[in-house]
Amino acid sequence: MAAPAAGTPVCAGDRLGETSEYEAGEGVYVRDGFLIASVVGRQRVEAAGDKGGKPTLHVTSTDRLPVVPKPGDIVTVKISRVGQTAAQALVMCVGRQALSTEFKGVIRQQDVRATEIDRVVMYDCFRPGDIVRAEVVSLGDARSYYLSTARNELGVVYARSATTGLPMVHTGWTSMQCPDTQAEEKRKVAALGGGKEAPAQ
Amino acid sequence: MSAAPVGKVVGPGDKVLDIPAQGTLRLSAGLTTHEGGVVSTKGGVLRSTRNGQYFLEGRQKRYIPAEADVVVGTVVDKHSENFMVDIGGPFNAVLPQLSFEGATRRNRPNISSGDLVYGRVVSAHRDTDPVLSCTDSAGRAAGFGHLKGGMVLQVSTSLARQLLGSPTAPVLEALGGGLQFEMAVGLNGRVWLSAPTAATAVLVANAIAESEFKTPTQVRTMVARYLSAVG
Repeated sequence: MAAPAAGTPVCAGDRLGETSEYEAGEGVYVRDGFLIASVVGRQRVEAAGDKGGKPTLHVTSTDRLPVVPKPGDIVTVKISRVGQTAAQALVMCVGRQALSTEFKGVIRQQDVRATEIDRVVMYDCFRPGDIVRAEVVSLGDARSYYLSTARNELGVVYARSATTGLPMVHTGWTSMQCPDTQAEEKRKVAALGGGKEAPAQ
Repeated sequence: MSAAPVGKVVGPGDKVLDIPAQGTLRLSAGLTTHEGGVVSTKGGVLRSTRNGQYFLEGRQKRYIPAEADVVVGTVVDKHSENFMVDIGGPFNAVLPQLSFEGATRRNRPNISSGDLVYGRVVSAHRDTDPVLSCTDSAGRAAGFGHLKGGMVLQVSTSLARQLLGSPTAPVLEALGGGLQFEMAVGLNGRVWLSAPTAATAVLVANAIAESEFKTPTQVRTMVARYLSAVG
């Protein structure tokens, strides 16, 4: 099946060619021996490399492709609910890029820290409204990504005091302090910047 | 230390007393410190417990769970390890299936959605689910557990506190003299009643509901009238 002329607009789901003739590139996936566009955009053929082989078919979209968290990404989340065995969160940024839609994530009790994972009290680690830096562990279940804060540089980055609402100051690995009342609250705090080891960023 | 005006009626935001220069001041429900004084956060009457803790006794229908409260709850969900119980607060409470007398992993309580339980609040915080237990701290049932049959009466939290307080509330003394019934009072404003006949249960429920704003004498007169009407 001859591919449509290059530069023609294609729709997601359009069949573009056969795997016997082309390789799949960006914006294209393979199904049942056919190359099918996965985004709306313009089609582009890249000639085969020096080693020979098939030309590659790409579909370039003018829209920015949506960023989606994947396992291993460092994400910034806002805690929405704290339960006894897990904290639910909304994923707001992946790395340095803000997301246009919020994804749901969950930080389970065993993923909060690396040591003594069965003695974690969720309420002493997170509160609703905290901003937390976490790592995506897996795509999780149908409802949410599984997140982890089990590293020194992961954890609560920004939290407001329960009584005064002022942003609290880090005072160690497990506590933050209100600047006004000096009341300390427990959190799983992320070690930012210095500390015993510089975080790998 | 100036004497605290125990028995004084205060509104929200009123300054109740000054923080003393030395000594300790123990504050409980409804009181907080602000700019050097003790300020009330709700409307109510200032009271002090035997231990010297000051608290505000106010009347409210909405229940906010606190540690060590006893509550009557309705089971709404059964998960693998816990029951979710509606106790009328902002969050549903978590009741572990093993928090019953004699419960083990193989021998779990036979409670399903819709059943009533009487338990105590083990932990309660502002933004998370409270945790209940149907045993006392030693692991004995102590009156907690599944409540079978009966009816539930909704009252305000202050009436529930009166029913559980000592000396015994006048309405309970008067009713107990003439009738047989079983009762479990939850500080969340729910009272479970069970009696041999439905008429007795309804009589007790009406008497308790009507007794909130009556003086002891009026309560005794009212109960006597109810008992004579039933015959």
